[in-house]
Amino acid sequence: MNQWLDERLHLSRLNDKFLRKAFPVHHSFFLGEITLFSLIILILTGILLALSYEPSNSLVVNSFDPGTTDAPNLIPAAYHSALKINAMPFGDMLRRIHHWTANIMIAASVIHMMRIYFTGAFKKPREINWWIGMLLLIFAALTAVTGYVLPYDNYAYNTLKVIYGIAASVPWVGEWVAQAAFAGKFPGDGVIPRVYGYHIMLLPGILLALTGAHMLIMIKQKHTQPQYAKRIAYKKIVGVPLMTQQTPIMLLLTFAFAGIIVLFSAFIPVHPVEYFGPPTTTPINNIKPDWYLLWVFGVLAIIPSFELRIFGGLIGSEFVGAILVPTLALLAMFAVPMLDRSKENLYYAENPTNYPVRLGAGVAFMMLLVVWSVAGYKPELISAGILTTANSNTVLWIASFLVPALSYFAVQLIVRGIRSLRESDARDRAAFQAADD
Amino acid sequence: MTRYKRQDPELSRRRFINLAMGTTAAVGGVSLISVLGTANPVFRLTRDKMPPLKGDVLVHASNNKEGQPVKLSELNEQLVRAWPMGKGENGENVIRKGDPNNLVAIYRFPRGQIIQPTNLEATINGEVVAYSDICTHAGCTVADSDTRAGAMKCPCHSGEYDPKRAAVVVGGPPPRGLAQLPIALQGDNLVVTDFFLQMPYPYTSEGEWESFKQEVEEQLA
Repeated sequence: MNQWLDERLHLSRLNDKFLRKAFPVHHSFFLGEITLFSLIILILTGILLALSYEPSNSLVVNSFDPGTTDAPNLIPAAYHSALKINAMPFGDMLRRIHHWTANIMIAASVIHMMRIYFTGAFKKPREINWWIGMLLLIFAALTAVTGYVLPYDNYAYNTLKVIYGIAASVPWVGEWVAQAAFAGKFPGDGVIPRVYGYHIMLLPGILLALTGAHMLIMIKQKHTQPQYAKRIAYKKIVGVPLMTQQTPIMLLLTFAFAGIIVLFSAFIPVHPVEYFGPPTTTPINNIKPDWYLLWVFGVLAIIPSFELRIFGGLIGSEFVGAILVPTLALLAMFAVPMLDRSKENLYYAENPTNYPVRLGAGVAFMMLLVVWSVAGYKPELISAGILTTANSNTVLWIASFLVPALSYFAVQLIVRGIRSLRESDARDRAAFQAADD
Repeated sequence: MTRYKRQDPELSRRRFINLAMGTTAAVGGVSLISVLGTANPVFRLTRDKMPPLKGDVLVHASNNKEGQPVKLSELNEQLVRAWPMGKGENGENVIRKGDPNNLVAIYRFPRGQIIQPTNLEATINGEVVAYSDICTHAGCTVADSDTRAGAMKCPCHSGEYDPKRAAVVVGGPPPRGLAQLPIALQGDNLVVTDFFLQMPYPYTSEGEWESFKQEVEEQLA
C-alpha cells in the first residue's frame, strides 16, 4: 500500500520534507504544541456544540419552565438552547470542556510567547512568526470573547453591552462601528446570529489560516536549538524526527492533556448558565472578564474620568482604557523583534540571565499587567477594606509604576547573583582542573 | 533599438486578462461595500424603543413583578428598577424595554435629604427621585452600593453616584452623572412628566440627544 500511495502522492518527498522534521528535546518546546492541541479540541467540541445550538436571540417559550398561557416564560432561543445542551447527556461536560480548553489555549500561548521572548527566539529570522503569533493571540482572545456572548445568559448580555459600549466609544466612527459589528443598536434583533458567524466561521477561519502559516514558517526556519545542541553538534540540527519519535510523545501529551481538561471539566464548573439566568435588568455583582482580559478591565476601573473633544470626536476614559492602552501594550509586544539589531541568524536559544535588560523588561511588563489585573479587583479590595474609595485609584496607579520598576531592579540583582555563582563555579572548576593535572 | 513600434490592432491576451481582472476586482469591491452597508441594519424607532416620555407610567422591571405599576409605598432607600410604560399606536400599553437604556432607578429618601443640584421640582415632594439607571461609562446597569447605604455603584468598573445629589459622580471612571427623570404622582402611579433632564447614556453630546428627542416628538405628532 505504501508504494501505491507513494506513486500517487509522493509520500517519500513529504517524508523527507516534513515528517522528518527534527523536534528539539526540551519540555518548554511543548507549549506551542499544547496550544495547537487546544485549538483542535476546541474545534471538535465546538462542532458538537454547534449541532445543538440555536443562534437566535428571538424569544421562545422556556420548555423547562413554560409559565402559563397568559404569561408564558419567554427566554432568548440561544439561552434556551444552552439550557437544552446542559440537559443533554454529557452536554454540560461538553460546554465545560470547550470553555476550559479555551482558557488553557490562551494560557499555553501566553507561556509559549514568554518562552520565545525570554530565550530570544523572536530574533532574526523569526520576526515574522512572532508577529503571526501576536495576531494569533489577539484573534484567540477575540474568539474567546465572542464565545462568551453565545449562551446569551445574563452574564453574556451584560458583557455584550460593555463590548458594544467599548466599540461605540471610538471617536467619530464608534457608533457606526458598533452597530455594524453587532447588527444595529444594542441589543439588536440580529446580534446573536452576527456573533455566531464571527465565533464559528470568521474567527476560527482566521485562527486556522494563521496557525497554518505559523507552523509552515516554523518548519521552514526550524526550531531554535536548545543550548545543549551547541555542545553536542555545533551548527547542526539536533532533535528527534516527527515520524516516528516525536509523534508518540505528541500523542502521549495530547492524551494526558485531554485527560487533564476532562478532569477539570468534571469537577470545576465554568460559566453555569442556569446560575446567571436569562438576560435581565438586574446587574450581576462583580462581573469580570476572564483572566486574560482582566488587565484591560483593571485599567478601566482605575482610569480617572475625563472627556476630550477633538473636531467633534469624543475621546473619553472608556476609549483610552479599553482601546488605546491595550493597543499600546500590544504594539509594544509587536515591536519586540525590532528592538534587536543583530544581523546574524539566531540558532540557539539564549540563556535569559545573559540578557538581563530583556529579562527585566519582560518581567516588568508582566508585572504591570498583574498590577492592572489586581486593579480589576478594585471593588472587592474596597469591600474588603484593604483600600478605600478615596485612595484606591492613587494606590493602584502608584503600584502600576512602582511594582514594574522594583521588579526590574530585583531581576537585575538576581541575575547578578546567579552570574557571580556561575563565575565562582567556573573558578572552582578551573582550580580543580589545575589540581588534577 | 527598433525604429518602429509594433502596432497591434488586436487586444493582446495579457491586456485582456488584466482588464478582466480589473473589472472583476472593481465589481467585487463595490459589492463588498454594499454587503458592508447591509451589515448595519436600519434603525426603526418603534414605541417600545422610545425613551421615557411625558405621561408614561413607571412599572416594575424586576422579573417577578414586571409590568406592575410602582407604588409610592414600595419605595425606600433601596433602588427600585422601573421601565416606562406608555401607549402603543392602538392605545395598548407598551413597556418601553426595547431599548435597555430606558431603565429607570427610583429612590425614596426622607424629606430634606435630596439636595441641590438635584432638580427638586422634578421629584415627588422632594422625597422620590428617578434617574436613568444606566452607567454613563460603559452602559452597565447601576446598583445599590454594597458598602454605603443610599449610594449607587456600578458593578462593572465601580463608578459611584450619589442619588441624593443629582446622581453626580463620586467615584470611578464615569464621565458624567446619571440623567434625572422628572416624575410626578398621579393617583397611585408614578408618572413621567418630561424627557430626561440631561442627556442619558449612550448620548455623548447635547446635540445628538436634542435631535433624538425631536425625532421622537415628530413621530408622535
